[in-house]
Amino acid sequence: MKYALALLAALLPASAFANNVQLESQVFVERIVTGPDGKEQTALQEPKVVTPGEKLVFELNYKNTGSKPADDFVVTNPMPAAVSYAGGESDGSVVSVDGGKTWGPLASLKVAGTDGVERAAQASDVTHVRWTFAQAIPAGAQGKLTFRGTVK
Amino acid sequence: MIFKTKLLTAASFIGGLAIAATPAYAEGTSAGAQVTNTVTLNYKVDTVQQNAVTATNTFTVDRKVNLTVTEEGTTTTSVAPGVTNAVTTFTVTNNSNAPLDFALAASQLAGGTAAHGGTDNFDVTNVRIFADTNNNGTFDSGTDQVITYLDEIAADASRRIFVVADVPNTRVNGDVAGVRLTATAREAGAANTQGAAITQTTGANTNGVDTVFADTNANGNTARDGAHFAGDDYTVSAATLTVTKASRVISDPVNNTTNPKMIPGAIVEYCIVVANGAGAATATDIAISDILPAQTAYQTSYGIKTNGTMTGSTCNEGAGSGTFANGTVSGTIANVAAGEARNLLFRVTVN
Repeated sequence: MKYALALLAALLPASAFANNVQLESQVFVERIVTGPDGKEQTALQEPKVVTPGEKLVFELNYKNTGSKPADDFVVTNPMPAAVSYAGGESDGSVVSVDGGKTWGPLASLKVAGTDGVERAAQASDVTHVRWTFAQAIPAGAQGKLTFRGTVK
Repeated sequence: MIFKTKLLTAASFIGGLAIAATPAYAEGTSAGAQVTNTVTLNYKVDTVQQNAVTATNTFTVDRKVNLTVTEEGTTTTSVAPGVTNAVTTFTVTNNSNAPLDFALAASQLAGGTAAHGGTDNFDVTNVRIFADTNNNGTFDSGTDQVITYLDEIAADASRRIFVVADVPNTRVNGDVAGVRLTATAREAGAANTQGAAITQTTGANTNGVDTVFADTNANGNTARDGAHFAGDDYTVSAATLTVTKASRVISDPVNNTTNPKMIPGAIVEYCIVVANGAGAATATDIAISDILPAQTAYQTSYGIKTNGTMTGSTCNEGAGSGTFANGTVSGTIANVAAGEARNLLFRVTVN
């Protein structure tokens, strides 16, 4: 199994300030393992062996490495086609079920059913996850965002 | 199949749909598919929109080998002794996220409880495995082909399999023969050849698509062994016929029909009763022949009545007829169902 991690940071060119925000995406497989004490516990493992139906935890790490606060900080994550959304963990996330056109808490969203009648959106309908920060991210600050998925 | 996902290093907000073209089957994303997650960050510094930052990661979906064999129908196959090409029907389903071949093997129980609760006490003979070649759900001798493996079965696909056997003609009512169809996952390999055996990836991660056995322990199977079986059985349904012969005096030349006695010249009615045991198969075309005693003469005017019913031990006249030739009464009873009896009647004169 190949495991690739790419970090693509586009820097602001031609700026008087060396502004820089780092972003990193990681994925883990959540498994029940038996610990040394014989008790079962949940562990996050690297995605070496991944088969359909397994639970994934996506971690998004950001850090403002620049010298100025970062305002209007928005992190957007489209769901990979082979992954079904299974809920968020970090507060403040909103989701979209229509490819990023409209956003909101999952419970507030609707989708057109196969019979043309609107129904309440389910986790499997989610196409995007987004976090919008009301506060600026101060220089040097960092944080982690997570959401869960299931391999289709 | 491997789907490569193109990574976007967008310099602006990505609002479009995810672009990974990974097919999602009922049994899951195809083995070998690469799943890429892309996250985008937009922000401003001093009210100036900055270039978007993206990050991605990718993992490969491994191969989950899972299969089921199920019996079609919920009842035993009822067979008569001596029958050939008795059929039991199974379905083999590829629940994996990759195409596979399946090696097929039919085996017989050696005693024990068969699939439908009976106790296995004999083996059928000439056991063969057939594909439902014309896919009509019915075994067609001469059309459906003998096979030893299923070739190139796609993820989620299933095939109907017939296990066909002959029943020895010495078996009796209620005998049970249990059979079992086992399918073992093999590499899909090349078309029209059975692929190599599959081994589960153990130990350290490899640099390709790993294989995980995921078959269950349902119905007595062993979990995660890459094979699955289902049982069915044949139950012999034979007729258990008994024949009895009774006679009664109808009249004599002296007393006529009032308390007639068995004296010369008396008319005697013979009733041959064929009874079939409870739970037995219906017997048909039961031929009866009876050689008359030399001291009696066949009464042509009454004839021979067949297919008569019984009221207790009383013989009722049937509508069928028989023949008399060379001192022998012959007749055929059309059918006798389980737990029922039919008779053949004729009369003679005592010489």
